[in-house]
Amino acid sequence: MESFVQSVVSGVLTGSLYAMIAVGLTIVFGVMRIINLAHGDMVMLGMFGAYWSYTLWGIDPFLSVGIWAPLMFAGGMLVQRFLLKEVIPKGELNTLLYTAGLSLLIANLALFFWTGDYRTLNLDYAVMPARPFGISVPIPLAIAFFMAIAITTALYLLLSRTDVGRAMRATAQNPQSAALMGVDVQRIDMITFGLGTALAAAAGVLLVPSLYLYPTVGEILIVKCFVIVVLGGLGSVPGAIAGGVLLGLVESLGAVYVSVAYKDTIGFVLFLLVLLFRPAGLFGVGKS
Amino acid sequence: MTRLLAAAGLLLLASAPLLTGNPFFQHLMIMVLFWTLLGASWNLLGGFAGQVSFGHAVFLGIGAYVTMLSYLSLGVSPFLGMLAGGIVGAMFAVPIGLICFRLRGPYFSLATLAVAEIVRLVALNWEQLTAGPMGLLITHLPPVSFAGATIDWESKVPFYYLAVILAVSAMALTFAVSRSRLGAYLTAVREDIDSAEAVGIDTVRTRVVALALSAFVVGLAGGFYALYFRYVDPDAVFAISLSVEMVFIAVVGGLATTAGPIVGAVVLVSIGEIFRDRFQAGHLIFYGLFMMLVIRYLPEGIWGGLQRLFRDRG
Amino acid sequence: MALLEVRGLSKVFGGLRAVSDLSFALHPGEVLGLIGPNGAGKTTVFNLITGFLAPTAGQISLEGQSLVGLKPHAVVKKGIARTFQVVKPFRHLTALENVTLAAFLHERSRPRAQARAQQILARVQLSARSAAGAADLTLSEQKRLEIARALATDPRLLFLDEPMGGLNPTEIERACELVREIRQDGVTVILVEHHMRAIMRISDRIIVLHHGEKIADGAPQDVVQDRNVIRAYLGERAA
Repeated sequence: MESFVQSVVSGVLTGSLYAMIAVGLTIVFGVMRIINLAHGDMVMLGMFGAYWSYTLWGIDPFLSVGIWAPLMFAGGMLVQRFLLKEVIPKGELNTLLYTAGLSLLIANLALFFWTGDYRTLNLDYAVMPARPFGISVPIPLAIAFFMAIAITTALYLLLSRTDVGRAMRATAQNPQSAALMGVDVQRIDMITFGLGTALAAAAGVLLVPSLYLYPTVGEILIVKCFVIVVLGGLGSVPGAIAGGVLLGLVESLGAVYVSVAYKDTIGFVLFLLVLLFRPAGLFGVGKS
Repeated sequence: MTRLLAAAGLLLLASAPLLTGNPFFQHLMIMVLFWTLLGASWNLLGGFAGQVSFGHAVFLGIGAYVTMLSYLSLGVSPFLGMLAGGIVGAMFAVPIGLICFRLRGPYFSLATLAVAEIVRLVALNWEQLTAGPMGLLITHLPPVSFAGATIDWESKVPFYYLAVILAVSAMALTFAVSRSRLGAYLTAVREDIDSAEAVGIDTVRTRVVALALSAFVVGLAGGFYALYFRYVDPDAVFAISLSVEMVFIAVVGGLATTAGPIVGAVVLVSIGEIFRDRFQAGHLIFYGLFMMLVIRYLPEGIWGGLQRLFRDRG
Repeated sequence: MALLEVRGLSKVFGGLRAVSDLSFALHPGEVLGLIGPNGAGKTTVFNLITGFLAPTAGQISLEGQSLVGLKPHAVVKKGIARTFQVVKPFRHLTALENVTLAAFLHERSRPRAQARAQQILARVQLSARSAAGAADLTLSEQKRLEIARALATDPRLLFLDEPMGGLNPTEIERACELVREIRQDGVTVILVEHHMRAIMRISDRIIVLHHGEKIADGAPQDVVQDRNVIRAYLGERAA
């Protein structure tokens, strides 16, 4: 029983970070209808940013989020404005291929400059895990969890309470109508992509004390991200959150109760099944 | 004009090994041919039918493992093993196609990626069959006598000629398909699936046939991989990066053109391998860069762009 | 013996009964017009019979053979061809290539399929535009291309979905003439059309649909005076 609770806790903690990454991907899809294959590499850049700012200047990653998230937000806006904007009119598939190219470029530039060595970031206050109620909880992961909740809540408030958020939701539903209502769709596209990138980078910063860091980590992350976003329903923020936590749980419980070996397979099989039979996601809230 | 180029190219191909004894250069040529082979067979489905598969490495891996296992466990001749690899690959194409073709556009692409990953994970974990992450190794390929001569597999030259035969056959296949009814049907599927059905085209069957042909060739290539590198493991032959590179070569070269993959392979693989030789890490930088440039400025690919240039010049 | 028999055909989408218990027969050589206010279910009927949609209930048979459950391409092979309400040419191909693709159904070799395509293009008076890209054709030409594509599959039964939509009076006249010629060639025709004068003129028989149900079935002049039909189009007062 104890190992069950332990698995659930680990799953939810990791899942919350997955969820944050997935939310970034899903809002970009929801508003712009593009699948950004470079999203995982944005996480990687966030991870490296936090790593360097810690290693070179001693800044704690949980503080450096405040540096890297805004920076990557700006970066994302520039990418949308100068790179993606011209390519999106060429169609979904072309945009997919373009972001695939961008992904390869970013990951390999990172490989070239920083080598493929696996790195870790070891915080001195994080060596021993906390043990509330006898459950082992790694401290960095716990901090990351709470910060992820805070950030996601902030995003939710942005989407539901602010004008920008409303404009984003309107554009997601129908860009032409939104434009007719006075929404500057181009500006919203830029903001959305910036937000998505910032979320990914922030998740990377939060994750770096808990994961191995290497330039091609984006590859696995983006694949997991798709599984989550499809499970949760493309374009749905609550769906991405639920999907992220679900995947975290499936991996964690799967490792204990099925086999360490096939735990990843479960996710993919679920993914295929959902794509085939429930394209609107497990909860039926996605758009195609 | 194209005929002259092709003839000159073939002549060059046939005599190339005699012009250089440098093993790196030989390896480079083999790699260019290998990727031409892969790009051309991917293009059958991706370019002609417009179904962009991000999981084509699944057939490469199947071909590689079938060849390896039949040689190591059953003592089957490597050539027959390669052929078996192609056939088994084509067989797998049927269920994979029937599953994935229910989806369209990017969803199809994601599904193929998922299928490839599932197979990779199965190969990684089914240690009884595949020896899992440790992989399979060929320590010695016995010399073969062919047409009176003895082929010694320790040198790269026989592999070069084998690669030439495979690549030229793949190009010939692509060319034949492009002129045939199947090729026309694939174009229709790419344009508009509903309209294609409305003129009596069985769009599922057409795509499955294209996928099976493509899988056969990629499976053969997998067998070649096994014999040339002599080592296969799931992360090498089922890797997403392999699938992705196939896509890049076909797109950068020119989708739905017969010669596009050649151009793509020559450009990308050469630059990549030379870079990798000098700097080790990051040789795919150019793949990413070229893809972005092509999609933005030259959607018909480098070869498509060149064709347009020649056409406009008159 | 009827060429096409539809019995009790129904299609339900969630809560919406798009087609409700529809029954009718189509005889060889007829031109049957299908009319009804917007949303009456006319295109849905087309989609059901040609295999693009699966019926919720009912039977569809062509000369006694059931068509239910067949994929669209199989229905085409049985001899039923269709056009789309919003034309769907293969945009990046030429007019000739568009029709050749359809001709491939019965001619396996490219040269023969192309030859047949040329013949059909001549019938719809598009020979001069055979090398033009489908996207570059005018709407009237695109509609004729769509009909040519359908004819190239050598159908016995042709479904035309609003062939005159968006055309000017001269083009409409031409289209009516074309439908007559098609009938003379031995092809049975069902057409959906909103342009009342045209459809009344060329149809032998009219079926009226309203909210998915058949409310009239008979000769044009009779249907036009039917109380139910008038009520459906103009409301209770007018009936």
